[in-house]
Amino acid sequence: MEQNTEHTLTKKEKRELKRKEKEDVKNQKESKKSTKRIVMWVSAVLILGFVVFGMVRIISSSPAGNGETVSFPIYDSDWVKGNKNASTTLIEYSDFQCPACAVYYPLIAQVVKDLGSEIRFVYRHFPLQQHQNANLTARAAEAAGKQGKFWEMHDVIFENQTKWAENGGARDIFIGYAKDLKLNLDKFNNDIDSKEVNAKIDGDYKSGLSAGVNSTPSFFLNGVKIQNPRTYDEFKSIIEQSIGKSAQ
Amino acid sequence: MTNSNQSLNNQLENPRNKRFAIWFLVIGFIGFVDAVYLTTNHFLGIELNCGILKGCEQVTTSVYASVWGIPVALLGLIYYLFIILSSILYLDIKKELVLRFISRVTILGLIASLWFLFAQIFLIHALCTYCLISLITSSILFIIGVLFLKDNRAEKLR
Repeated sequence: MEQNTEHTLTKKEKRELKRKEKEDVKNQKESKKSTKRIVMWVSAVLILGFVVFGMVRIISSSPAGNGETVSFPIYDSDWVKGNKNASTTLIEYSDFQCPACAVYYPLIAQVVKDLGSEIRFVYRHFPLQQHQNANLTARAAEAAGKQGKFWEMHDVIFENQTKWAENGGARDIFIGYAKDLKLNLDKFNNDIDSKEVNAKIDGDYKSGLSAGVNSTPSFFLNGVKIQNPRTYDEFKSIIEQSIGKSAQ
Repeated sequence: MTNSNQSLNNQLENPRNKRFAIWFLVIGFIGFVDAVYLTTNHFLGIELNCGILKGCEQVTTSVYASVWGIPVALLGLIYYLFIILSSILYLDIKKELVLRFISRVTILGLIASLWFLFAQIFLIHALCTYCLISLITSSILFIIGVLFLKDNRAEKLR
């Protein structure tokens, strides 16, 4: 009797053993499956992360412009700042009423301050149609230029853009600026409407059009259009690279 | 018990479902790469300027480039990320419900893409290549979704 129970027990035990074995195999399969799952999710996350990281790197390291070129000669009539004989030339096509141009105004001022001995900066007019006072401001700056104060007027105009941009009586405001700059007001008034001043702005605009300018501000570095830098440091490094190249 | 149920489910799973999930994954990935490009461009490469055709006020405040302050490109990125992750989720847990959910969501992607196509043609008057790529991927996702739902219904009727 006792033996019998022992025997059945061993049978039971055998069964138990088999069951355990089966479970082990199953467990192994399960763990294989779960490693597969982990690998799948981890590789997905890695690939997606790699795409994002790669794209950010590619885009942030390519300040390359659209490659359009502008007629390189600098004319006597051009307004130049910095070193007039420098081999690196930065040309800006700008619109006094364009908010983005006003954003770039202090950046350019800083560039000319820091690198002015190695570059020449040229300002050309590109008044956009949708800005009611853009052409008038360009003429006011040119008229001030006739009395040797183009850059002074250029600065005042940008610094006060919000005051005159949507103002119907902008002309009086500019006459006020002319007064502050101690200009001859009669001459200033005449020059604003003169054919010569109009022709100068028209010439700038046309040269911009032929260079493919379709927005302001547009910058050309040694004749090649650059994408608008997002920060001062980026702007400076692009120009410094160009200075390095022309020095070689 | 639950384990055996799951394996039973796996065996019952329509083998075509896996193919649908992989298609969702591949097309979703293409859309994702495109959306990542547009989003990084939005945040890093945005050109600050005033255009001839459109005013700069329009460009900088850009009515159509963002919805409730969230750039459209980022919304697209989230959408494609959702498609990718849910496809992988399906490949992992093999629940048909997931595929049915993806298929229904693709209509949103298509509607959004069509609206931006409309905005580009009639409101902004300019087409952007990468937005068109997104239109194509979202259309393909929608077609895959429709095909899946059709297949799924036919399978159930059988």
